[in-house]
Amino acid sequence: MITIAIAKGRMQDDALALLAEAGVRLSAEALASRKLALEDDSGLYRFIFVKPADVPVYVEHGIADCGVVGRDVLLESEADVLLPLDLRIARCRLVVAAIDPEVITRSFGMLRVATKYARLAGAHFGARGIPVEIISLSGSVELAPALGLADVIVDLVETGRTLQENGLQVVEVITESTGRLVVNRASFQLKAEEISRLTGALERVLQGVTTK
Amino acid sequence: MLLSKLPPGMRYYLGAEARLRRFVEDTAMSVFEGWSYEEVLTPSVDYYALFEQGMGVSEAQSSFRFTDTDGSMLSLRPDVTSSVARVAATLLADSSRPLRLCYASPVFRQQQQSHAEWRRENTQLGGELIGTGGSAADLEVLLLATEILQRIGLTGSFCITINDVGILNGLLSELDLDKLARESIRRLIDTRDSTELDKFLQQLSISPAIKQSLSTITQLTGKREVLDKAKTIISNSDALVAVNKLAELWSAIESLGLEEAFEVDLADVSSLDYYTGLSFKIFVRGVGYRVGRGGRYDGLTANFGTAEPAIGFVLSLDSLVEVLGRNSSANGKNGHEVQSLVTSELAATFKEALQRRSNNEKIRIESTS
Repeated sequence: MITIAIAKGRMQDDALALLAEAGVRLSAEALASRKLALEDDSGLYRFIFVKPADVPVYVEHGIADCGVVGRDVLLESEADVLLPLDLRIARCRLVVAAIDPEVITRSFGMLRVATKYARLAGAHFGARGIPVEIISLSGSVELAPALGLADVIVDLVETGRTLQENGLQVVEVITESTGRLVVNRASFQLKAEEISRLTGALERVLQGVTTK
Repeated sequence: MLLSKLPPGMRYYLGAEARLRRFVEDTAMSVFEGWSYEEVLTPSVDYYALFEQGMGVSEAQSSFRFTDTDGSMLSLRPDVTSSVARVAATLLADSSRPLRLCYASPVFRQQQQSHAEWRRENTQLGGELIGTGGSAADLEVLLLATEILQRIGLTGSFCITINDVGILNGLLSELDLDKLARESIRRLIDTRDSTELDKFLQQLSISPAIKQSLSTITQLTGKREVLDKAKTIISNSDALVAVNKLAELWSAIESLGLEEAFEVDLADVSSLDYYTGLSFKIFVRGVGYRVGRGGRYDGLTANFGTAEPAIGFVLSLDSLVEVLGRNSSANGKNGHEVQSLVTSELAATFKEALQRRSNNEKIRIESTS
């Protein structure tokens, strides 16, 4: 049996829809339940639903063989996992945003950065030689500049509406992110057949989507 | 400071687990002995510079460092191979070749917690075959690892993936890339991230043929068919030499009936500069991370004077004990029956104790109080 960790939230519905197209289906009753671990109709797959940041943890440890999670989360986690497929779901951008975009070029002192992506933000400004104080938050990051907690934020943007409503503008795009299929290194070898059956099925669905 | 607390990444081994550990270590060392490998013990503390030379900067940086009284930087050994390479090039420089050396030694690395490789103390069971190259040496080392895994009871539960870094290095040698770009390509291939790899290659002005070869490599995991496929998509001659060497090795693996336990994985490239030929990783069912790795590093001894061919591997004793401990029901007591002796009259009791011990009986002194 293959265990697939799914990032709860934003990506969950798209991920399950894609997997269903690839023939890996959860019954309606199973989906309606509040269980965090479920088996699919065929009994070949087990799903576990965890917070996005925990997907790479489960997969790297091999507790889950595969996972579906955003590239942003993977980059932040530095987990040593394989990323064989871009599922092209939940597309978004990781950006630097500020109320006044010029704050970055103006501040030769210390730039205060509020973010859920402490590592990526640190690396981004580090590469430019900009001294920063990283303020790690776990949500509602967009509030920080307006309240004076930070000069800029580094956050994920899908439509840009939340930024707008909080008076923020995108200063630069750090990277793009989409949902990825990740695979544990040991499972990739020890369960090679089952894994390639899954990736093959997903790949066929994805190719179908693009040729439409 | 709570004295009950252990530093992260450190642990105890007690009772059945400690016995299992002893069993795995003894078994591995007896297999090494059976293939004529001599045990070597290296210093636990050595100069940091040794490991920087021996492992490369980024790996060596994971070591625990401190300074000597004269200010030079010391390190708790993060690997054994560096030290073995040095002893081969110095003390054993005039010994006849090949050298066959083995060890069972703890190594210490700072690991980020919450990752699969969390242990900061890890006993490596390792072997090094120095002073001989070619397929015979490669195969010897692979079979040695296989025998250890079989003898500790993991037959059918492990997989050894093989690759030759000459393939990727051959392909990359045709491109005029800086170190950073080479490393990016390596990392994207190693993580099978074909999407980002394609994006990255798109920005480089390189021939479509090489682009195609590089992006196909991320898919080349399997048995013999992988090597057949590789031959059709690779035109670089150095890379082809490496593919053919792997094919020769694979044929030998097949004739020995071991192809179930092996896999070719041309995308597995954890470093471009450390290994110089065959590289392999060892996976065991029930462990999410590799339990061992090895390969050929013909450049390593050159750091200490003379370049000579060398190949070696390590197995993580701690990972093996973890999986065996979980699988086995044989975690009970160890075999011998115990003879309890009650201390009534001191001299008499211990006279009996010594006599029973001279017959190799297992005894336990029970106190009367």
